[in-house]
Parts: sequence; C-alpha cells; structure tokens
Amino acid sequence: MGYYSSYYSYGLPTFVIIVIALYLLFTGSGEAFNVGRFLEESSPYAWATTGIGLCIGMSVLGAGWGIFITGSSLLGGGVRAPRITTKNLIRRVFIIFCEVVAIYGVIIGIVYSAKLTAIPSELLFTPENYFTGFAIFWGGLTVGACNMLCGICVGITGATAALADAADPDLFVKILIVEVFGSILGLFGLIVGLIMVGSTGDFKAAPGVAAAAAQAVVSPFVH
Amino acid sequence: MSGAGARENVFATRMALTNTKQRLKGAQTGHSLLAKKRDALTTRFRAILKKVDEAKRKMGKVMQLASFSMAEVTYATGDVSYLVQEQAKLATFRVKAKQDNVSGVILPAFEVDRVAGSDFNLTGLGRGGQQIMKAKEVYAKAIETLVELASLQTAFTILDEVIRATNRRVNAIEHVIMPRLENTIRYIMSELDEMDREEFFRANMDNPRLKKVQGKKKRDAAAREALQDQLALEEAVDNPPAAVESSIGIDDEESTDLLSGKDADVIF
Amino acid sequence: MEALFFNVDNGFLEAIVRGYKAGILTQNQYSNLAQCETLEDFRTQLSATDYGNFLANEPLPISTSTIADKATQILVDQFNYLRNNAVQPLAKFLEYITYAYMIDNVVLLITGTLHERDTHELLERCHPLGIFDTMPALCVATNVEELYQSVLVETPLAPYFRDCLSATDLDDLNIEIIRNTVYKAYLEDFYNFCTTLGSPTSDMMHKILEFEADRRTVNITINSFNTELSKEQRAKLFPAIGRLWPEGNNQLARADEMDQVRQACESVSEYRSFFSDVGSAQGNGSGNGYNDLAAASHLEDRFFRMEVHLNKQSFLQQFQYGIFYSYMKLKEQEIRNLTWIAECIAQDAKDRIQDFIPIF
Repeated sequence: MGYYSSYYSYGLPTFVIIVIALYLLFTGSGEAFNVGRFLEESSPYAWATTGIGLCIGMSVLGAGWGIFITGSSLLGGGVRAPRITTKNLIRRVFIIFCEVVAIYGVIIGIVYSAKLTAIPSELLFTPENYFTGFAIFWGGLTVGACNMLCGICVGITGATAALADAADPDLFVKILIVEVFGSILGLFGLIVGLIMVGSTGDFKAAPGVAAAAAQAVVSPFVH
Repeated sequence: MSGAGARENVFATRMALTNTKQRLKGAQTGHSLLAKKRDALTTRFRAILKKVDEAKRKMGKVMQLASFSMAEVTYATGDVSYLVQEQAKLATFRVKAKQDNVSGVILPAFEVDRVAGSDFNLTGLGRGGQQIMKAKEVYAKAIETLVELASLQTAFTILDEVIRATNRRVNAIEHVIMPRLENTIRYIMSELDEMDREEFFRANMDNPRLKKVQGKKKRDAAAREALQDQLALEEAVDNPPAAVESSIGIDDEESTDLLSGKDADVIF
Repeated sequence: MEALFFNVDNGFLEAIVRGYKAGILTQNQYSNLAQCETLEDFRTQLSATDYGNFLANEPLPISTSTIADKATQILVDQFNYLRNNAVQPLAKFLEYITYAYMIDNVVLLITGTLHERDTHELLERCHPLGIFDTMPALCVATNVEELYQSVLVETPLAPYFRDCLSATDLDDLNIEIIRNTVYKAYLEDFYNFCTTLGSPTSDMMHKILEFEADRRTVNITINSFNTELSKEQRAKLFPAIGRLWPEGNNQLARADEMDQVRQACESVSEYRSFFSDVGSAQGNGSGNGYNDLAAASHLEDRFFRMEVHLNKQSFLQQFQYGIFYSYMKLKEQEIRNLTWIAECIAQDAKDRIQDFIPIF
C-alpha cells in the first residue's frame, strides 16, 4: 500500500523540480536561482510579519494539538474516573500546560508586533531594518517551532498522565513532574525569542540625506 | 379344653396322631433349615450393608471430583456440552447384568464394560483438550462407582425382601404351626387317654364297687349338664353362632399380625 | 509518530478502555472473593467491585453459569459501546476480535446442521460477541451444502471457509478439525491485518498473536496424541505464524510424545520453563498417561498465565490498538476466574480456590 504513495509523494516533486531547474539552466536563465537577490529584494516587513505569523500560528497549532491529544484521552478517562475532569482545577493542569504554550506565542507575537512601524518603502531598506526583519522572522520561527513541539510533547505526556491519573490518583504528582519539564521547553523558546530581538530596534526610516546613497549601497536589486 | 390354643380339626385317632407327629417333625426340620438360611442371608446382608455404606461415601467423593473436573473444563474451554453430545455416536460405557446365587436367592449384579472408544477425543483440540480428557476419565470412574453402588443397592433390596419373607416363615413355623401341631398332638393324646378310661370304665360297669361312685357321678354330671345348658343358652342369646368363628378369627389375626410385623434390624 | 495522530480517532476510546481496565478485579478483591462461604457472600462481595449490582435481580439460588452469563453480558455491552464509537481502522480491528467468537458460533451451527437438529435453538447458545446480523439466515439451511453456500455469502468468515474447506469437507471432517482449520486461517489473516496497521500496534499484536498461534500449535500436538488425527492433518492445522514457526512446527508435526514437544519448544526461551516439570515427570520413570495428562493441564495453566502476562504488557504501550484486544482477553480471563471461584465455593472445594490466575 505504502509503496506507490510514497513514490508519488517524494519522487514526483523531486522530479518536477529537477526538470524545471535543468530547463532554466540550459535555457540560459540559471541566475533565476539567486538567493542573495531574493533576500535583498524581499521587504523586511514581509520577513517580520511572516515571523510573527509563524510564531503565533505554530504556537497555537502546537497548543491546539496538545490540548486535543490530551483532551480526548482526558474525556475518555473521565468516563470511568470523573475526578480527573470535573470540579478539580489541579487536575486540569494537563490542559493548562498546553494552553500556556499558546500564551507564549501570543506574548512573543505582541512583543514582535510592537517593533512594526509604518515606513515608506523607499526609506525601508536600511541595514537596521533588514536586521529587525530577519531577527523577527527567525525569532518567530524559533518560538513557533519550540512551542509547537512543546505543545505536542505536553499533549502526549498529558494524555498519558491523564490516563495514569485516572488509573491511580497517587501517580498524579509524580507524573506531573514529567509534564512540567515538557512544558518548560516552550519557555526556553520564549526566552531565546525575546533575546533574539532584544538588540533590534523598531523599524526606522532611513536618515533622509543618505537615503538615496544608502539605497544604492544596500542593494543593487532594490529599485 | 383348657390351655389348648388352636389345633387342627382332626379325629382323635392313633393314625392322626402318627401323622401329626410326623408333620411336627417336618416342621421342626423346616424351621431349623429356614433359620439357617435366614442367618446366612443376614450375614450377607450385613456385608452388603457395609459395602453400600462405603460405596455411598465413595460416590459422594467421586461425584464431587467429577463435577469439579467439569468446572475445570468450563474454565479452560467454556461450554462444550453441545459438541460433546452431538459427537458421541457410540456408547463407550456399557453395563452388563449377571446373576449371583446366594443360598437360593438370585441377586442381579452389574458389571462395567468399557469400550476404548474415542468419539469426541478431538474436542478441545485447540484449547483445553487435556481437561476434557481428564473430565472424561473422572466421570467414567464416577459412573463405575455408581454402577457398583447400583448393583449393591439392588442386591440389598432383594435380600431385604427375601430375608423378611424367610423371617416370616420361620416365625410362622415357630409360633403358629408348631404350637398348633403340638396342641393337636396333646389333644389327640388326651382324647385317646379319655377313650381308654371310658373303655376301662365300661368294661367294669358291673363291678358293684364302682356303682356307688357311678351313681354319684351320674348325679354330678346331670347337675353340671343342666348348668352348662343354661350357660350355653344364655351365650347363644347374647351372640349367636359367631362365637366359634370368632375364636378362629382371632387365631388368624394373630398370625397375620405376625406376618406383617416389621423387623427391627431392617434398614429400609 | 503514532502519538500525533492516534488520538484523532481513537484517543477517547483508548482512554475508555483504560478506564474499563481499571475496573478489572485486583488481587485484593480476589482474595476477598475467595474467602466467601456461600454464593450469597460472593454476590455481596462482587457488588463492592466494578461489577456493581449486576446480580441483584437474580432469583436466589444463583448458579455459577448465571454469574458467568451476566459477567459476559457486561463485557459484551462494553464491547458494543466501543464498537459503535469506533472508526476505521479500529472498527475493522474490533471486528477481527469478534471473528474468533464467530468461528465458534458457526461451527456450533454446523454441528447442529450435520446432526439435523433445530438450529434455531442453538442461536441462544451462541456466544453473544460472535453474533452477526445474518446469523439467523444460517439457520435456514437444512443441509450442509446449503449451509456452506450461505456461510460463503453471508458471513464475514467467508474467505476463511472458501480458502480452507469445501462443502464436502464439512461433511467428512471432524468438526474440531474444521474449527481449527478456520481458526488457523483467521489467526494468519488477523496477523497480516495487524501488519498493515503499522507499529506499535503490530508490535504488540504480533507478540500476542504469535503466542496464541504457538499455544494452539502445542495444544493441538498434545491433544492429538493417540487419536485418529494423522500427522499430515495435524501439520495442516498449525498456524503459519508464531515463534515456533517454521522449524518448531515441523518438529511438533512429527512429535509422538511430550518429550518431543518439549524439545521442539526448547528453542524459544520463554516456552522452555513451561515444560520443566514435564521433563521431571517423565524422568521419574512413571511416564504413564495420567501423569502426562496432569503435566499437560499444568501446561495449559502456564499458557494462560503467559497470555495474561502478554496482554498486561500491551497496556504499557499507549496509542495502539492492542489494548482493545488485550482488554477483551483479560476480561475473559476474569470471567473465567470468577466462574472458577464461584464453582469452588458452590462445590466446597476450598483447597483449589486459589488456582485462578490473578490479573492485576
């Protein structure tokens, strides 16, 4: 069963990409693959907003995934052991830990959003703004990836922990430790994400006089 | 006649006396023979009783074991009863009856005859076959015990019946027939004696020495006869001819009482 | 990776089963039950456990079979709940579990038809887990040929029958051989199905199914000693999976006595200990049939223990289907245990009451 589907899912895209690449190469337009040009031409705003979007999006994805994994087990376990779901706030930490991951993403998203200010495009392409844009993008990706994995991790351990708690109430505290450590992973992402943008300033317009010169210096591709 | 119980209705002749004596002797021989038979049967009976007791205890144990092995089968395989029922085609366990003679009493005895058949020995092939085989063995043993018990029990009942009958006969001979014969003999003897005396008296009728006595005797006899007549008359008025019959009837009843009496040593 | 997506479809049900599992009687509860003097006490003790008042409405002299029936009914209800909530491929997996009971039921019906009994009566004797919608249709068949046709069309077992047996086989072969042939096909099919489910379900299930196959192989071998079952026929009944397969199976197919069975199983370390006292019984020089029988029933006991052990292990792994199967098996074992204890109480055999197999 898996043989053909994996053949198509991996083989076909590879094949298409190779064909296109060879076509461009042999028709004399090999320079279309120009990473430097791409990086310089794309707006720092695009980088920054994509970063923010990835940050919050992946965080929420992770949190949602985790809550969903935990939740379905928690509800199922709750059928026979109602104490793990109802009336007991402490037992809900399984869900809260996942939720926290989304909150990390929101915090970072807000912090990053604060860096965005409206600047006319001809004054945008300064080294500082490039730095801010890239920092926010990669910071957002870091936080997002961290939070997603953290969310899944907490979700799976949470599902297991919920079932363990359902089976034996004494296990709750012991198993919570595992979950706490899982949950801390998201915090690492948050910290690193904050540090990454710590030294960046807000988007600033290029100083007026040097603007034209700077523009030429910064990128030959930006017109 | 005083002290006379039932007696046979015979003419008091020497012939009858000889006959009766012979019969008495026969009755005595019969009595001793029957008593011997009774003793033999009772011994046997007690032996069987002991065995029955043992067999019953054993049966209790064996049946418990058997039903427990059934529980084991249920534990291992679940319900196999239907399959086993349907697959049994031939009886592998048969009972044969034979006869046994104990002092003239025919006792049936049952014997187990096992055919080493294997009708459902594949039952539980995948699971629990061992338990099923074990249960089969144990149940076969249980049935053996049951068959043994059955033959003992039958022998027991039959012996019981026979012993009771024999007892009845022995007692009848001892308490009815022999006394009656003895009474008859006594009666005949006394009648013969009487006749002898009468003969003697008649022969000496002319003897004057006896006349006085005779006269007095006659008077006495007349007076006694008158009294007796009067009594008889009164009695006849009170209860007419039944008197004689009732005396016989009482006798009969006595004997039937004896017949239907229970023996203390019989268990069932 | 299975953890990422397993809960999408099956998280709830898995947790439910784990909840059910928590209701399986513990050692403590067993020892309480074993101390009962009467079945009345037994019922009272049971009502304190997860079984609750399931015997409350029974008329008073409770028979052990009633207890077994009621307990089975509870299990069936639980199973049906799971089944109704399941989506593919779990639904298919659960269906596979019922096939085993279905085989028993169909075989029962075949037996009835062969002997020309009224098969409608038999429907009540069928195991409730193995009942399928079209089962009453099987009762319409009056002879084996018809039954074979309807089995082929109507039941989910059709492929097994089609591949292994022909209509004439149903007539000629011993019913136990039919049952085991079909069961062999079922085990192999189930094994392949589990392979398609991927790890970790397949890991867990392969272990359990391999053990089941080995157990059947060994049992069939031992039980077919001194019967009319020929060695070729015997070899055909062995499932082609399991840890003994293939060379152990080959040895078993040729075995004539317990000792050879033991040697065949030597190669698998887990099974070696099962036969330890079989060897000693023969070593004593007695070697008579009864001893063999006793050793064999010990073996059965050990197989049960091993099965429970494996099924317990499958609960250690989350996010896989094996626990559904294991739960059913453990629960079955528990019902057996309950029946056993009840039987011991009813028959006043206190010395054997501890012979059940505690689960947790």
